[in-house]
Amino acid sequence: MNPSLTRRHFLRSSTALIALPALESLGFRRFASAAAPVEPPKRLIFLGFGWGITTESWFPDIKNPGPAYELPAGLTPLARHKADFSIVQGLCNKYSNEGHWGSTMWLTGANRFAEPGQNFHNSISADQVAAAKLGLSTRFASLQLNGAENAEASGHGPGLSMAWDVSGKPVGGHKGPVEAFHRLFSQDTTPIEQQKAMLAQKRSVLDTVLGNARAMQRGLGKNDTAKLDEYFQGIRDIETRLSKDEQWIGVPQPNAPLPEPQPSLAGREEIKVMYDIILAAIQTDSTRVLTYRQPVSTLLTSLGIKVAPHDMSHYHSTLGEKLDASQRRDLAQSELLSGFIDKLKATKESNGTALFDHVALAYGSNIRTEHNLDNCPTLLSGGGAGIKLGHNIVAPKDTPLCNAWLALLHGIGVNAERHGDSTGVLKELLA
Amino acid sequence: MKHLLHLLAALLLAPTFLYAATEPPRASMNERHKSLLKEHCEGCHGAEKQKGKFRIDELSFSITNLETAEKWQKVLNQINSGEMPPDEEKQPSREAKADFLDDLSNAMVAARRSLSDQRGVITMRRLNRREYRNTLRELLGVEINVSELPSDTGTGGFDTVGSNLFMSGNQFEQYQALGREALSESFAWQAAAGVEKKLRYEAETTTPIVEKFVAYQIDARERAKLWVKAVEDAAALPENKDIVAQLKKESKNDSIFRRSWEKIPGAPSPRSFGFDKKGENDADLANDSLGAGWLPYHQYYLRQPAVDRGAYLGTQTRHPAELNVNYIELLVPFDWPVGNYIARVRVAAANDAPPERRFLDFGFHARTGKVMATHEVSGTLDAPQVIEIPFTLTRGHTERSDRSLFIREKGSWDTNEEGGRKRSEAQKRNGIGPEVALWVDWMEIERVPNTANPAPPGIASLGLPLDDKAPAPAPQDVRSALERFATEAFRGTAPPEGYIDDLIRLYNVRSKAGDKPAAALKETLSVVLSSPMFLYLVEPSAGEKRRPLTDSELATRLSYFLWSAPPDATLRELAKRGELAKPEVLAAQTERLLEDRRAGGFIRAFTHQWLGMDRIDFFEINRALYPRFDTATKVAAKNEIYETIEHLVHHNASLRDLLKSDYVVINRVLAHYYGLPGVKGDAYEKVSLPEGSPRGGLLGMAAVQFMGGNGERTSPVERGTWVLRKLLNEPPPPAPANIPAISRLAGKVLTTHERLLAHQEDPQCANCHRKIDPIGFGLENFDAAGGWRTEDSYQATDAAGKPDPKAKKNWPIEASAALYKGPAFKDYFGLRDIVASRSDAFARGFSSALVEYALGRPCGFADEPLLKTMLSQSGKKDLAVREFIHTLVASNEFHTK
Repeated sequence: MNPSLTRRHFLRSSTALIALPALESLGFRRFASAAAPVEPPKRLIFLGFGWGITTESWFPDIKNPGPAYELPAGLTPLARHKADFSIVQGLCNKYSNEGHWGSTMWLTGANRFAEPGQNFHNSISADQVAAAKLGLSTRFASLQLNGAENAEASGHGPGLSMAWDVSGKPVGGHKGPVEAFHRLFSQDTTPIEQQKAMLAQKRSVLDTVLGNARAMQRGLGKNDTAKLDEYFQGIRDIETRLSKDEQWIGVPQPNAPLPEPQPSLAGREEIKVMYDIILAAIQTDSTRVLTYRQPVSTLLTSLGIKVAPHDMSHYHSTLGEKLDASQRRDLAQSELLSGFIDKLKATKESNGTALFDHVALAYGSNIRTEHNLDNCPTLLSGGGAGIKLGHNIVAPKDTPLCNAWLALLHGIGVNAERHGDSTGVLKELLA
Repeated sequence: MKHLLHLLAALLLAPTFLYAATEPPRASMNERHKSLLKEHCEGCHGAEKQKGKFRIDELSFSITNLETAEKWQKVLNQINSGEMPPDEEKQPSREAKADFLDDLSNAMVAARRSLSDQRGVITMRRLNRREYRNTLRELLGVEINVSELPSDTGTGGFDTVGSNLFMSGNQFEQYQALGREALSESFAWQAAAGVEKKLRYEAETTTPIVEKFVAYQIDARERAKLWVKAVEDAAALPENKDIVAQLKKESKNDSIFRRSWEKIPGAPSPRSFGFDKKGENDADLANDSLGAGWLPYHQYYLRQPAVDRGAYLGTQTRHPAELNVNYIELLVPFDWPVGNYIARVRVAAANDAPPERRFLDFGFHARTGKVMATHEVSGTLDAPQVIEIPFTLTRGHTERSDRSLFIREKGSWDTNEEGGRKRSEAQKRNGIGPEVALWVDWMEIERVPNTANPAPPGIASLGLPLDDKAPAPAPQDVRSALERFATEAFRGTAPPEGYIDDLIRLYNVRSKAGDKPAAALKETLSVVLSSPMFLYLVEPSAGEKRRPLTDSELATRLSYFLWSAPPDATLRELAKRGELAKPEVLAAQTERLLEDRRAGGFIRAFTHQWLGMDRIDFFEINRALYPRFDTATKVAAKNEIYETIEHLVHHNASLRDLLKSDYVVINRVLAHYYGLPGVKGDAYEKVSLPEGSPRGGLLGMAAVQFMGGNGERTSPVERGTWVLRKLLNEPPPPAPANIPAISRLAGKVLTTHERLLAHQEDPQCANCHRKIDPIGFGLENFDAAGGWRTEDSYQATDAAGKPDPKAKKNWPIEASAALYKGPAFKDYFGLRDIVASRSDAFARGFSSALVEYALGRPCGFADEPLLKTMLSQSGKKDLAVREFIHTLVASNEFHTK
């Protein structure tokens, strides 16, 4: 990394063509006059909710594929968007065997046991594949958002967010709206010279600990070296971010298009505000790739439901209040999503088109319900990936979920050869 | 000491099994199922046809690689999900299918274990979240909140298992920030070391407030009556007939009607009667005053004998900001510094207070805070007692909410819902509200100076002034301070060459940027606290050959095992002198570490993870069904598990006591809950059980049974699984994915037993549930809060969520059952005896958990000889708990990288 790299260099560099459209959007309008009109960039959003849905009332009838399907009860709040999303049935991650892991392998399709001599293995998640390309020109390559509560209670399984890096290690996330808001919009009022000095100091901190790590590495065997590599990778990540910070010195943090969230938000209100933050992050072009591991446990509490979340997903043998809780959860989640789609449609890009047309959005879970890991609930929306919308898509049973992720990646211009256990793009999605 | 020598002799004579490269045994599927596969599968998946490109006839029964494992996994999944054999094909018998699934799912567990076996290799690991906190505590003398770090649990193993402990860029920055916070905290403690503070609140302060409020309520009620009368008079005027009729139609009741007084010509304003609701509708205040809410309770309060010299802790009547007779809250002034504090309360029980209401809850922030401690009140109005509760104030306590101490009668207002329920029950009974049970004379907070304690080792190693006023230290002093601090932080290992130079560069940059010396020092030290040599427990091994640990590595391994904290000066000194590895020294040190208060860090964390106690915090109890299981009781019940195991360790008692014992280790809160006499002090103590008590051992503990339910109903499946996993060491395979749900019985009114019998019908369920469910049935005498019961009931709700009186069923508990292919039992006591008779299996499970925890890697096949030795050594001492630990610490595995 050339430390003298400035923002000017950056703009002149080969990434400029990707960088410029970013500057067109709301946060950077002052640069707009300098640039020719360009197509708005593509964005990718994954919303995951653990614990699944109510099978009987969330999925449309598989005997009625295509656009003329009847909307099931659990999706009724999405009626006004019926032409603008597709439900995909028959997808699964074939290696998944953990009935309480709704998010750990949802975007990776990995086999937990793939590595001999280890009892946990994961691989890169679809969002991080996209971030490697879409993230080059934004302040944050990607953003990982989490519910403010403990992920286990919401059926997400291990992981620090839904994202896993290129070596299959967990990527950290921001817990709850307040933390996410500050990460995105806290104004750095330090003078530029001082910011530069601070960056230099951060670099020498990294040099110091790296020196320490190298000294330590000298006597280590193979396994331990691999373990220490995580530390090196962590430091490299920070270096990459510092370089990015350096490029962005002097470019003020965008003004937040929404007020600072209340710290007490939980459940339904928390998700609602987090959707607003996702929107704000996109509007200000702070990032183009986002994942949100949504709270389920506090969602129930906020709906006045007393059934414990895990119990709720086991409604089959008792029905009654557990089924009721499960269905009310579906409705609340659909309602929130519907509101989010409203806003994506209402937000205009610099060329006058709707933001919705440039977003690829996936909404679902690795768990269908109970411990069922087949027919993962999958709702795809947004015009960004050019996939077929408005359909009840019934793929052959046990089609890799990763085929859908691959189709989204290709749709937004990330031409990965394969992803996870994919066997090709999900052709049923192609319009 | 004598038993130690015996142990050592035995160990020295034991054959060495180190460096024997044990191959993990091959997992295999039982060949007796060949015919089933041949008959039901090979037609489509054999030599002739290969539907779905899947051939089963060539599939090896010995599962030695991932490919074979994945194929068998596919077979298991397909049969579990009911897809194979296809419906139209001939099906195997239920029994044969259940046996097949039983063997295959267990073979898969064995295969996964064998394929992921680390062959005894210990991956270097970083400090986990607990150890990181404890290490900072030992170094800097302060404890900071580390909850923002990942919890390091979740992939199933212990939080000491290195391969599951990840690191990321985010985390590195968190370490730096937390290290900085710990240093700031420590510097602040040093600066405030000698500060003395004390304040006392006289509780009778409440009395005139209540008196004034009562007078106000009486007066306001009279004024409200006059206003109502005036409004009614105006409403009765013939010319107002139409408007009044219209308003009445729109109003649900008279109060709401009166809110529209302005529309009634001639009706006077509430304000003219003295009701001013400050911008809201004044009529609301008048309406409220008419009811004079809880006036009789307030008058009852003032009639109590000792209100002139103290306060009673009653129920909540009004909003606490208006009037509070429920709790006493005392703010630690914002300018009082960090440090150790003591809260003191002089308290008595009212003369007629029933025994179960003589408990005082203590915590931070009455309205939202948790109960931190509960004490029984034995003082009387004639002879009150003083209860002392120590607490710590840190830099993190910056809000009113975490600087306000409260005391309240146990469980009197844990939640609005629960408090309100108790209040209205009492009101129904006596027309007033809950009788007051506790009286408080005063409450006091005192800061305890810590000048007597030596400075913590990290701070002592610096030897530099830490306040901003001191002149800048000389460069050579800074250098040697950094060198000493880094060595201390790195647990005795000197920092590598160049490291100190780098640190000095940082220090100089900060100083040049305008930092005061102490600030620059803090910033520099925070880098030490996020350096890999601090964060990782390093045991270098350049070659791939296993090697014995050095003495100082051994010291580190031992102290992180038994303390979850770094080795202290004694251990390090012994290591330096090369004496630690001597068997008698090591055994003596093991004893010393187990006697130290830091051993709690090991015992509690190990117990919590070993027994799967996180489930306790998953659920809230349904307080309407279980009113006695209040917050304080839940806390006490959880502690019973920890305290019992600490008791075993401290008295070197037998592990068997966890399966069945004639004593319990409880405090007075639990003594009341269990209805057991004999607890003398205010802490946990050993109490003998009467003949025939269901208590004694893990199965008799309320928290264990609470975990086996959801806070409302019991779950025989959860309980059975837990017993198989934790007590009998026969863990059922993980809940399989994609099993078709049994919905046939949904909505029917059935006993728990009847409902669960459905499991036996489907082979996919039966193969595990025939082992799980009977155990759960044997525990049905414990309700969801761990209380003893002889009856249960089921109440179905209708579509509106209301209980449907026609759909209710009561039944007596029937706890007799038989273990699968095992003995039958008549009742819970019979089941407990069967479980207790299998203490060898229990000891084996415990040993392998201990090995995993201590060595930081899964207990693998190569550990078989070690497990055997642990069992035989401890077996000679009736499974005394410390024997397991000593044998493990003395083993080659423990001494080998």
